Amino acid sequence: MKAIKKIIFAVIIIVFASCEDVVDVEVQDGPTRLVVEASLNWEKGTAGDQQTIRLSESTPFFGTGTNTQVTGASVVVTNDSSGDEFVFVDQGNGEYLSTTFEPILDQSYSLRIEHEGEVYTATETMTSVTDITDIFQNREEGFNDEELEVHVVFNDPEEEGNNYLFKFHREGDLLPSLEVGEDRFLNGNEIDWWFEIEEDEDENIEPFQPGDVLQIEMYGISRPYYDYIKILVEQLGGTGLFESTPVTVRGNCVNETNPENYAFGYFRLTEVVKASYTFVEE
Amino acid sequence: MNRRTQLGQAAQNTLWLLWLFLLGCAQAMGQDSHTVSGTITDKSNGETLFGASVLLGGTTIGGVTNEYGFYSITAPAGEYTLRISYMGYNEIQMKINLVQDLKNDVEVSEFSTELDEVVVTADEPERALLGKPEMSVVKMNMGTVKQMPVVLGEVDVLKSLQMLPGVTNNGEGTGGFHVRGGAQDQNLVLLDEAIIYNTSHMFGFFSVFNADAIKDVKLYKGGIPARFGGRVSSVLDIRQKDGNNKNFALTGGIGVISSRLTAEGPLFGDKGSFLVAGRRSYVDLLLKAAGEENSVSFYDLNLKTNYAINTNNKLFLSGYFGRDAFKLGSSFDSSYGNASGNLRWNHIFNDRLFSNLSAIWSRYDYDLEFAQDEFEWVSSITNYNLKYDFKYYLSDAFNLDFGVNGIYYDFDPGEVNPTADTSPVNPLKLDQKRALESGIYINAEHKLTPSLTLQYGMRYSAFSRLGGQPISEYANGQPVVYNSLLDIYERGEAIGETEYAKSETIKTFGNLEPRVSLAYLLNEDSSIKAGYSRTAQYIHLLSNTSSVTPLDVWTPSGPFIKPQLSNQYALGYFRNFLDKAYSLEVETYYKTVDNRIDYIDGSDLIGQNTIETEILNGEMRAYGLELLLRKNEGDFTGWIAYTLSKSEQRTLGGTAGGPGINNGDWYNSAFDRTHDISVSGAYQLNDQWSFGTNLVFQTGRPVTYPNGQYVYEGLSIATYAPRNSDRLPAYHRMDVSVNYKPRKYENKRFKGEWVLSIYNLYNRKNAASISFGQNLETGANQATRTAIFGIVPSLTYNFKF
Repeated sequence: MKAIKKIIFAVIIIVFASCEDVVDVEVQDGPTRLVVEASLNWEKGTAGDQQTIRLSESTPFFGTGTNTQVTGASVVVTNDSSGDEFVFVDQGNGEYLSTTFEPILDQSYSLRIEHEGEVYTATETMTSVTDITDIFQNREEGFNDEELEVHVVFNDPEEEGNNYLFKFHREGDLLPSLEVGEDRFLNGNEIDWWFEIEEDEDENIEPFQPGDVLQIEMYGISRPYYDYIKILVEQLGGTGLFESTPVTVRGNCVNETNPENYAFGYFRLTEVVKASYTFVEE
Repeated sequence: MNRRTQLGQAAQNTLWLLWLFLLGCAQAMGQDSHTVSGTITDKSNGETLFGASVLLGGTTIGGVTNEYGFYSITAPAGEYTLRISYMGYNEIQMKINLVQDLKNDVEVSEFSTELDEVVVTADEPERALLGKPEMSVVKMNMGTVKQMPVVLGEVDVLKSLQMLPGVTNNGEGTGGFHVRGGAQDQNLVLLDEAIIYNTSHMFGFFSVFNADAIKDVKLYKGGIPARFGGRVSSVLDIRQKDGNNKNFALTGGIGVISSRLTAEGPLFGDKGSFLVAGRRSYVDLLLKAAGEENSVSFYDLNLKTNYAINTNNKLFLSGYFGRDAFKLGSSFDSSYGNASGNLRWNHIFNDRLFSNLSAIWSRYDYDLEFAQDEFEWVSSITNYNLKYDFKYYLSDAFNLDFGVNGIYYDFDPGEVNPTADTSPVNPLKLDQKRALESGIYINAEHKLTPSLTLQYGMRYSAFSRLGGQPISEYANGQPVVYNSLLDIYERGEAIGETEYAKSETIKTFGNLEPRVSLAYLLNEDSSIKAGYSRTAQYIHLLSNTSSVTPLDVWTPSGPFIKPQLSNQYALGYFRNFLDKAYSLEVETYYKTVDNRIDYIDGSDLIGQNTIETEILNGEMRAYGLELLLRKNEGDFTGWIAYTLSKSEQRTLGGTAGGPGINNGDWYNSAFDRTHDISVSGAYQLNDQWSFGTNLVFQTGRPVTYPNGQYVYEGLSIATYAPRNSDRLPAYHRMDVSVNYKPRKYENKRFKGEWVLSIYNLYNRKNAASISFGQNLETGANQATRTAIFGIVPSLTYNFKF
């Protein structure tokens, strides 16, 4: 449904030959905050013991690549049932590594970060994901019925409340694409999720071509994380006329010492299936 | 003020009004006087004239015609000169001997009869209106509207209204309009009394009103008369033409975007007339020819017919049907539109009591088809409205309006239907909602002294949310809860639901809506006016985007959504000067709206069955100063309009807890425009050539820009400043138009006219939106401006025979 508003906008642009151009705009400067990228992803069929947490700081919107890594913090994840602690070791580059993590589906975990005398905490549950049953390519579907799109097929589980995060990254592209899905209208059905890249001459982006290699990741995510990442992904596409008023999205990391100084980012635990697809000549 | 003193105050005010009312009635009874009444019509086509001024020469006794052209004046017996005047028409003076009640229908003729182009050379009603307590009202003459330069050659009533103070839009290519800092859904838009829910074609580029089918347009920005109810910001009252009852006529035009044709003529001898007007766009045909798979198109049809049973009874039947379609390749197809019908019965009980009974139906619906995913999505709102209105002309100093009405609503917020067995989508039907809105009102126009006229009235409105659906129950009765840990609002926990039978009522509301205004004539050329009005609104348009879309749905008040209540105070100064060639109108207003819905961060309205989990009840306030300087006479006519205003909203946490939306702070509403200047001019060189121009300058629309970024999932994620704390760049443009009427041949009925319009002459790229994101190639953050219209020249040919 969300696509409709995009479509309206697209049609307006086409019909009225409206113009889009990049302009200089002055924006405000918000407070600098700690950014927690604590994504513990358990790839199906692996041990899942190697996990990385990234800490950084937020910057001005038009800020240029300053060093934002946060080092010297203490990072610990705890299994809420057993009390087992997993210490993430500072690698000196903003990354914190554990090689002994023990993932358990539907298990609740807690994160505790100590940084510059302030304590940040978060709690989340490891969420499972169903298998991808088929991946194929086609042209007819998608926004453009002449260009290639990929189809990821999977069976949504019987019980309601499954949420998905997809990450598509074509080799050679700088940025990945994120998409989110829920089973609200689709519960228990076989789902065919398509993904297409729209041409953008200004930014040198081409649609899929035979030979392109696409990395596909499908994550099972919790409902709170879905609510978070959904807004975040929506706002990635820009905030045009028919978009909701954009907001700063709050994650689940709470500053216990100074609640005002909360952290961006999220502590998530997800099961993920990964696949690679190479487009072929038809 | 506490509630007790408030009640006391209200009771006291009511008593005071009652006393005045009785005084008026007593005055009316105690006179030996007679009444002259009748209908004022246009000589050329028999159209009744609304707002024509009827005066007894040498006295201050007079009035204006109502929506059906009817007037009634009561005066002591004697000889008088009856003076009838109407903007752009020749004044008529006739001697009457008022020794008994008189029936006096009058035909008046236009100064110029070219293509209905009424050039504003005299502004009689303006003069008369100095003494009328009606304020904050804009009446647009269709002739003026048709002379203004327009985008793509489409004459547009709504765009013309935006050239006046206090009326704005939300940027090019967005639907609807905003009045005095109010939202779009706070406007009651009536086409021949039928509620129109969506006023735009093509997402807002054009309005649904075909100028050829419209007789007059009146916008109440405040001081809404007691006979209207249901919206808190404004009433736009648009009346269709009745149709030429003298002879058959065809009017039409060929434009860049669309073409139109109107046929009208007499029916049943001279007892009736009809009008059929059609309009269709052909962008879709051009796009198709150019091999483009995507398209948009619209069409509309206006119908009107009337039949005079006898001099005291007349029937009118009117209809509107309009539809938009848009299509994206083979994957997506959609259409939406309004439809309405109205059957009216005008009955004149006697020469002082006029009545009108209307049975009205209207509907708005949309239908989306997703061919790929094999499902369709439909949604609609339908209403049935019965109205009985009376106007009682008691005496020259005292008139009464009173009436009742009831509206039954049927809301079908959304239905998902799979279109094939293989569809991955499950069927879904959001709860259908039903409601009954009723109103009863009485309003007096009371001339206390020759220079002081008072208008006072009361409307009582009631709203019942009817059963036939379940209502969710939430833990602690809170559909939205505040998460103090994360400082966010979240959906409440549903703990069950109550099923209401169709015969049950879920919730009822009732509101007293007093409306008071006065006009005080300072001298022959100037007056001051003041007004207060309270209005209630029971249905709400759900939209959490910066611009409303055709796909937004209406929802009724109920257990979780309270009716919006507005108080508006206005004060104005009105003056005609330089021998009435110029007029000046200055008004200030202050308006508050309680229970304005606001959306929690991350609200999801699409396919949402429990809207209450996405919203909080907030409030709005708006205030401003409006100036309108007009030149009404001469070859050069036009106006300068300036508005200085502020419109804000605030939403506190209330029972949900927490500080509220945007931390509970007041923030600019999306319709806030600090400065808004519009200049419109028309110059009549000779019978062949005329020129028009528009100049517009507006403070940019409030928007929310990023105030930082961080890296997450390999992407730059923007963080945002407080709601609407930034602004788009200022909006400005200039338009020009040239009208050329080839010299007409003697005895030929055919008349033609060319209109060349250039919109946005200096090709300013006004930002409709500025969007922020990462450049896909470099990864750097950038701001992208979308400008809808650059310079747009267009040529239109209009004809009539």
